[in-house]
Amino acid sequence: MRKRLFTIPSLLAAGFMPIESTAMPIAPFNDGGKSKSLFDIFKLDHKFTLAGHRSHSSHSSHSSHRSSTGGGTYYPPAAPVYQAPAPVYQPPSPIYQAPTATAPAAAPLIVLPGNAAKFKEIVLQVQFAMLSFGYYNGELDGKMSPAMRSGLLKMQSDYNLKVTGTITPETLNALRITAD
Amino acid sequence: MIPLRLKIETDAIDPYVVRLRSFEGVAHDTPTLSSFDAVLGYATGERADFSSGAGTLRVFGIDASDVNGDVLFVVPRRGTAHRLIRANSRHNTLLVTERCDQLCLMCSQPPKKQHVDMFPYFETAVLLSPENATIGLSGGEPTLFKSELLEFLGRMLAARPDIDFHVLTNAQHFDGDDLAKLGELDLDRVLWGVPVYSSDHYVHDRIVAKPGAFDKVREGLSILCQAGAKIELRTVLMKPNAAGLADLAGFVTTSLPFVDKWAIMQLENIGYGRQNWDSLFFDSSRGFDTVGKALDLAISRGINAMLYNFPLCTLPPNYRTFAPSTISDWKRTYVSECAGCGLRDDCGGFFEWHPKAHGYERFGVT
Repeated sequence: MRKRLFTIPSLLAAGFMPIESTAMPIAPFNDGGKSKSLFDIFKLDHKFTLAGHRSHSSHSSHSSHRSSTGGGTYYPPAAPVYQAPAPVYQPPSPIYQAPTATAPAAAPLIVLPGNAAKFKEIVLQVQFAMLSFGYYNGELDGKMSPAMRSGLLKMQSDYNLKVTGTITPETLNALRITAD
Repeated sequence: MIPLRLKIETDAIDPYVVRLRSFEGVAHDTPTLSSFDAVLGYATGERADFSSGAGTLRVFGIDASDVNGDVLFVVPRRGTAHRLIRANSRHNTLLVTERCDQLCLMCSQPPKKQHVDMFPYFETAVLLSPENATIGLSGGEPTLFKSELLEFLGRMLAARPDIDFHVLTNAQHFDGDDLAKLGELDLDRVLWGVPVYSSDHYVHDRIVAKPGAFDKVREGLSILCQAGAKIELRTVLMKPNAAGLADLAGFVTTSLPFVDKWAIMQLENIGYGRQNWDSLFFDSSRGFDTVGKALDLAISRGINAMLYNFPLCTLPPNYRTFAPSTISDWKRTYVSECAGCGLRDDCGGFFEWHPKAHGYERFGVT
C-alpha cells in the first residue's frame, strides 16, 4: 500500500509522466473509424535522429523558417469613404468556385513553373545585343531596368517594330536571339 | 526593401485578384491564359501596363519582370495592389485577420478590431500560386476564424498537392471536436507555428497579456499532437524570459517532445517590439550562456532546436550551424559593418527596421 503511494510521484519526479493529464488522449474521439491511429500518426513523418540533431541540409526547406510579420493591412482602418466589399463566403463544396471571378472562367487555372534562371539568361543575351547596337550601356547583369526599358522603346521605334518596351518575339528576332 | 504594396491605376471598380504574366523573352506569343491572368502589353522605366478581362491595370514603381507571376489583390479605389503571392519569393504570408485575443509585449503586428474576410480572395491566390510554394497564414490570430481556416486548408491542400502551409497560431482555440476536422487534412503539409515563451505560466501569461494563456496553449498543443500535426514551437528571446530559457528547454524536452522543431527567436524591432525595445531586447552576443545551455539540452534530447533571426557573428562559431537565414527577403538588410563579411551569404542579417545601433556588444567576425 505504502509502496503504491510512492510509485507515481517518483515517476513524476523523474519526468516520466506528462505534467497534466491534458497531454494524454483521455478518450478516443469517434469519427466513424476514418481517423489515423496514434501509431499511424507517429510512423508518418518522424525521422530518426542519430546525432541528436539533423544535419543542416535536412532542415526541411528553408522556406519554413519564417519570422513572424506578414504583409500589411489589406484594408487600412483610415478608410475615408471606402466600403469593405464583404465578399460572400462560399459554403464548402468539393468543386472550387472562384468567388471573385470577373470573367467567365475560360481556361482552368494554370500553375506556373519557376523559370527565373532561364529569363535571366535571355535578358543577358538581349543586353549584350543591345549593347552592341548602341541601345544600352549599363551592366550586363541579366536584370531588366529603366535603362533597358527605354533602350527597348527606342530600338523598337527605330526598327519599326511594335513599340512595347518589352522583350517581344519580334524584338528577339530583330536581335537575332533564339529563345526556347 | 521589396515592396508588398504597389501603386496602381485600373478601370475596374471592385477589388479583385489577378495574376500578372509578362511573357517576355519567349519566342512565340500564343500563351494559355486563365481568366485571372493579366498580360503585359507595354512597359517603361516607370510603369507597366497589363490587360485582362477585368480591364487594364497599370503598375507603377516596379519593373514588369519583377512582378511576373505575382498574384495581386487590387483595391481600385485606393489605387493600390497587395502582392498576395510574389512568384520569386519563398516568403509569402497571407494575413487572415488582424484580430487577436492576446496582446504580446513584443507583438510585431499589433492587433486591430476590424476584420475583413479575405478567405475567398486567398483561395484564388493560392490556386494561382507558383509550383511548390510554401504559404504562410498569419494574423492576428487565424484560429479566431477556425472553421473558415480549417475549411480553407482542406480545400487548398486538396486542390494544390504541391503546396505547403505554415500557420502561425497561439493554438488556444482548438478543442477535442476539432480532431475529426484536423484528421481530414493532409497534416504532413501544414506546419503549425505556436509561441511558448516560458515554462513558468506567470511569465508566459504576462508576456502575452492573457491570464490562463499558458494552460490553454498546453491543451491546444495536446490536441495538435493527438491529431498528428507538425508543430514548430516559437520562443522569442527577451529580457523577461531569457533567464528561464534553460528551464523552458527542460519543459519542451519532457512535456512537448513531440514537436517537430523549436525556434528560439531574436526580437523584431517593430510594432510593440519597437515601443518596448529597451525593456525587452536581450543582447545574446553577451548573454549567450543561457541560450547555449537551452540549445545543448534540447538538442541532446533529440529536439530539433534552432536559432531564428540571430546575426551569425553574434553567435559563438560552433552554434552558427543552428542559425539558418530566417529573415524574410522583403524585410532583410545588413548594416555597414557587414560589408565584406565572409558569412554574409549564409546570414539572415537584420530586420529592415532594426535600429542602426543594433545593440549587440559583440559584433562582426573576428
